[in-house]
Amino acid sequence: MRGTHRVALTGLSTISGIALLLALKPHHADQPPLSSPEPDSGGGHGGSAPSASGGTRTGTFTGDAVQTKYGPVQVRATLDKGRLTAVKVLKTPSDNEKDRSIAADAVPKLTKEALAAGGAQVHAVSGASYTSDGYARSLQSALDKADSGKHGASRPAQQGAGSGQSTTGRGGGRP
Amino acid sequence: MAVTTYDNRPRAGRHRRTPRTRALRPPGRPPAAILVAHLLVWGGAAAVLGLWWADTPSVLGAAGWLTGAGRITGLLAGYACAVLVALMARVPAVDHALGTDRLARWHAMGGRFTVGLTLAHVFSIVSGYALTGHTGLVRQGTDVVLHYPDMLKATAGFLLFLVTAGVSARAARKRMSYELWHLLHLATYAAVFLAFGHQLANGADFAGRLPAQIVWYVLYLGVAALVLWYRVLAPVRSALRHRLRVAHVREEAPGVTSVYVTGRRLDELAAQPGQFFRWRFLSRGLWWSAGPYSLSAPADGKGLRITVKEVGGHSAAVARLAPGTRVWAEGPYGGLTPARAKSGRSLLLAGGIGITPLRALFETLPGEVALVYWAHRQHDLALRSELDAIAGRRGGRVHYSVSGPAGHTLPMDAGTLSRLVPDIAERDVYVCGPAGMAETAKRAVREAGVPGARIHHESFAF
Amino acid sequence: MTAATGSARGLRHVEHVMGTVFSFDVRDEPVPALREALARAVAWLHRVDAVFSPYRPDSSVGRLARRTTTLAEEPADVAAILELCAELEDATRGCFSARPAGRLDPSGVVKGWATEEAARILERAGARNLCVNGGGDLQLSGEPAPGEPWRVGIADPRRPDRTVAVVSGRDLAVATSGNAERGRHITDPRTGVPVDGPLSCTVVGPHLTRADPYATAALVMGDEAWEWLARLDGYALLTVPADGGPPAAGDGFPLAEPPPA
Repeated sequence: MRGTHRVALTGLSTISGIALLLALKPHHADQPPLSSPEPDSGGGHGGSAPSASGGTRTGTFTGDAVQTKYGPVQVRATLDKGRLTAVKVLKTPSDNEKDRSIAADAVPKLTKEALAAGGAQVHAVSGASYTSDGYARSLQSALDKADSGKHGASRPAQQGAGSGQSTTGRGGGRP
Repeated sequence: MAVTTYDNRPRAGRHRRTPRTRALRPPGRPPAAILVAHLLVWGGAAAVLGLWWADTPSVLGAAGWLTGAGRITGLLAGYACAVLVALMARVPAVDHALGTDRLARWHAMGGRFTVGLTLAHVFSIVSGYALTGHTGLVRQGTDVVLHYPDMLKATAGFLLFLVTAGVSARAARKRMSYELWHLLHLATYAAVFLAFGHQLANGADFAGRLPAQIVWYVLYLGVAALVLWYRVLAPVRSALRHRLRVAHVREEAPGVTSVYVTGRRLDELAAQPGQFFRWRFLSRGLWWSAGPYSLSAPADGKGLRITVKEVGGHSAAVARLAPGTRVWAEGPYGGLTPARAKSGRSLLLAGGIGITPLRALFETLPGEVALVYWAHRQHDLALRSELDAIAGRRGGRVHYSVSGPAGHTLPMDAGTLSRLVPDIAERDVYVCGPAGMAETAKRAVREAGVPGARIHHESFAF
Repeated sequence: MTAATGSARGLRHVEHVMGTVFSFDVRDEPVPALREALARAVAWLHRVDAVFSPYRPDSSVGRLARRTTTLAEEPADVAAILELCAELEDATRGCFSARPAGRLDPSGVVKGWATEEAARILERAGARNLCVNGGGDLQLSGEPAPGEPWRVGIADPRRPDRTVAVVSGRDLAVATSGNAERGRHITDPRTGVPVDGPLSCTVVGPHLTRADPYATAALVMGDEAWEWLARLDGYALLTVPADGGPPAAGDGFPLAEPPPA
């Protein structure tokens, strides 16, 4: 039927046109173009001068407003030797209640990339409060053991010696 | 000399004489008005896309693609809605230049496309947001509808839009009267109005960009002003100014009635032969819809005449109009005017009630005019005495053809037409009649060598 | 009490008290003054447990809850803590409360406060570089090694043996409040209804006494926590969402960079 042919043709050409437009745009995340550093360099070891190459920059920089789905957001980044250590949001679209709660939802996601930079080696672990049993399974106990183990000390005794250790009911499950 | 002929030859069958036709010429260049219209519409669409382009630094990930597609389709749909409404604003200059039926056709095609765009927009935006926010489609959709600004209204508008689209589908339209369908279709105004707010409130390409917002306001307010003036205020003004009333009603043929309408300052209406008005008769059952009927006689400053065939509730009620009934006439509309004829020689092909505008043209077209009038039966040849009289007065030719009794039929093909009108290829041809007849006639005429630019046709099937 | 393990690199000790486990990690030279301070810090923890535990029949809080005593008859700390709770309840618009569902239970403040005070005991004895982990909430001072900041992993609430992010700093507290264990057991003190938001909230700031209840309140607040915490100078928030997505960190949250190779 000519009708369906025309519909299919129109549909296909529209989809291709839109896909072409989208494809012509860059697909990598732009760093918010960073302007010159502010006088109060916050990061790192006390005021090292920001160097020219991006890889070893240290300091606090304010970027241009970045377009998010909620509107323009302006960001201040703190770098320590080229690594993002903190991101502070300066300007969020917040005309009304809804925008503010929406912006609150949008803001933290900007630092998602920075989370991955942490790496694995830690000295201690923070987590929801664990019981004694939970502790035994936690990473903190492994860290405690690893360090004490290195020095050949005996493992800490469980329960027992301390006075008043008995816990009733819900045990240590406090927030 | 008037010549009235019946063709005594049997209907063309196996032994069709091969006509001496020239090679089929390609259709002529479309008139300038159509080109300008295309440029404006597509140019506006390109500008809208340019807005998106300028505003988008990058497209990141699947969510970015989906949201980007959602923004593009949203912008285009918003623009398209304004264009669709503008097409139907009944601006006389646009109507005369492009033709009412062409505008209606563009509107219908564009409307279907816009519904598709809108569906794509809704789906892409919700999916894109859902991916960005790591939530499910349903939850994201609910969030958008309930918590984003102006979205409740926009959703209502979207649903209204879908309903009117469904009602406009051919299958549905067949089951309801034109008047009812038209009334339901007016809900699209409400849909566009409801959806306007969310475009500016949520559109990422409008956020913080005052020039873009201003342009959007201008576009929509401009179109609204056109509609308000030409579809509401101008008709009221015209009604007050001309105070039209039904003078008398006369039956021309079984089921065919002429209505004479008089009023004041009729010459100001500047109705040309071949044009039509949208007639709103202020009587019970007729006041709430306006029927398009052509003038069946040239407007002489004393009155206007239409000739209506009973095909449905509205036209049947027209036949029973009481003299003195007040009338509102919107118009004139239509591009089937004498101005189209540049060659000085014309051929009019009428089928059934399509005779009405051609009867007026037959009387007023300059130069040589021939008319061929197809009808079912002899008594269906409405206005026949008038046609004969005109032919006699001005030296035009008229040929009648009826489907029965047998033996009085003129086949509607290139050969017959060329024989009847040997110089047909140099003439302007006006065609008016039911859709099937009109298509056959246009094809025959093209085969006979008439270039597309000289074939003038207006369809009433909108 | 178990013997503290000493080494040239410092003191480490693990103590089971208050129904959970406290870890001490002192990186200064383990001179006798510090060993003695550690013992006092451990004793302090037990004393707090004796006074504040809502589960012990003979604790002050238990008695106050049953109204068999008055504030004036109890140690001054109790009044101070309850006053702090009142201030926090006000600041968090009721999302933190010492009286959830009407029952007196200041545990949300007590553990962090006790941990911070234990760290101060050691500091007053001369320790400069230490980490005290009270059941998942930490108070940190100084550096674990010269030139290197403390690195604290934030446990993945879904897999306690993994971390989802690393915090880095020198003098700060890290408190995490979680809702993942044993079903959603955290309730909104205003309504008594279980909270259905992120799996865990981590608050970082100078004082654990505050960071601990802030983390709990943030869990109850949900999306509003970002805005609320942004107004508190010096404190920052990270949340782990329930839907399996990556954590979200807010203004000024001190995420760590990878350690030098």
